[in-house]
Amino acid sequence: MLDLLDAELLGIITLTLRMTLMSTTISAILGIPLGLWLDRADFTGKRLVVAINRTLMASPPVVVGLVVYLMLMRNGPFGFMGLLFTFEAMVLAQVLLITPIICGIVYTASARNSERIHLFAQTMGANRWQTKILLIRELSNELYFAIVTGFGRAMSEVGAIMIVGGNIRHHTRTMTTSISLLRNRGEIDQAIFLGILLMLIAFAVQLLISLIRRKERRTDENF
Amino acid sequence: MKISKLKKTLGAFSLEIEHLSLTPGKIYGIIGPNGSGKTTLMKLMAGLLPPDSGSIDWPGLTPRDITMVFKKPYLIHDTVLRNLTYPLTLRGLPPDPATVDHYLTLADLQKYRNAYAPGLSSGEQQKLSLIRAMIFSPKLTFIDETFSNLDMESAARFERLILDRQQKDPATYVICAHQLSHIHRLCDEVLFLSNGRIEAQGTTEDILLHPEHPLLQQYLQFVQMQ
Ligand SMILES: Nc1ncnc2c1ncn2[C@@H]1O[C@H](COP(=O)(O)OP(=O)(O)O)[C@@H](O)[C@H]1O
Ligand SMILES: [Mg+2]
Repeated sequence: MLDLLDAELLGIITLTLRMTLMSTTISAILGIPLGLWLDRADFTGKRLVVAINRTLMASPPVVVGLVVYLMLMRNGPFGFMGLLFTFEAMVLAQVLLITPIICGIVYTASARNSERIHLFAQTMGANRWQTKILLIRELSNELYFAIVTGFGRAMSEVGAIMIVGGNIRHHTRTMTTSISLLRNRGEIDQAIFLGILLMLIAFAVQLLISLIRRKERRTDENF
Repeated sequence: MKISKLKKTLGAFSLEIEHLSLTPGKIYGIIGPNGSGKTTLMKLMAGLLPPDSGSIDWPGLTPRDITMVFKKPYLIHDTVLRNLTYPLTLRGLPPDPATVDHYLTLADLQKYRNAYAPGLSSGEQQKLSLIRAMIFSPKLTFIDETFSNLDMESAARFERLILDRQQKDPATYVICAHQLSHIHRLCDEVLFLSNGRIEAQGTTEDILLHPEHPLLQQYLQFVQMQ
């Protein structure tokens, strides 16, 4: 089993982490402002937009993969960019999957608290920017949770990246697509080994983040 | 300060104030049963709620001169100290350590200065929100039942502080409380609200001790004055 820890495996792990980090970062940059904006915005059809967001949060990865595939395939509208079966295609599919999740979690957290925070900021004499900074600081636990959830989804996802990445050796093969391939080949031991490794890496990442984070406090308002 | 033809409808409730004027430097009380519109009126006057129609004029005051403290205060997810100095931070003013100590002592929060503020008891939270609103000396302060969970000694200390400050540097206060003893000791004038209307208005003496309006008499009938 040790022969698995070779250069190829290291390449797979690195690719998986690079892809996950990049898609989570882009999704956070898009999803957090979108979620905050959606809460404060007031327009007709907002309920519809929220309902669509909720649906996209649970969109099946293979469907997203298929849509991206159709967009990027040679005869598709963006076929000329030559992105199909590349790292970028996998990141794109994951961004489409994760952005609604981050946006939805941020929207819900903001909807629950932003009214009170804005009112408080006004009583303190905060200007527009000071209010925004306060809002983000006060929601930081929720923003953190949204990002972690997106990261977990990106790390464990297989359906979409399999379709748009193609699971090409040394190129677009990630940990999850490897596991899927190994199982198809009947190499169950190695599939399990990779699975455990994936879990351990995910756990290590979470530990690392929680070390940086300040402790979350719980309060009982009834005393 | 002047209010005229103020109207605000919230669901089934509507508030209507034909005319009201407040004199700067005085302490006003608002009393009235639950749901009579005390909080709504204060939020409107504090500029925290837009009226449906009518006008509120505070000549010479900017939003930064006005503050309001609530029964359930909002505390930043941070220490007691950072909560207290937050309005100063917003204004780019360095907090003076002696002033900070003075306020923390006043609120019995000295030992909690580095504790997590949302973890305080509700009375302590109210005291923190009161000193946080006082530390930047706003010209107009609305206090909405923020004394409700204070022990008698703490409440008396805050009353004394407000009255002392009125001697040196008068500001305007509008205070709402169900314990009329606070209103009695603090306020120069009192408004009685019922069902979104000001039904009686006058000096604290007149309103509390010689009520004429039948609704006011009914409201006061159940009050025990300490
Ligand atoms: N946002 C709102 N939507 C609907 N009704 C509201 C809203 N805010 C307050 N009300 C109603 O307005 C009435 C007056 O409320 P409030 O001003 O809080 O009364 P008070 O402070 O005197 O107890 C209450 O009946 C309350 O239910
Ligand atoms: Mg009220």
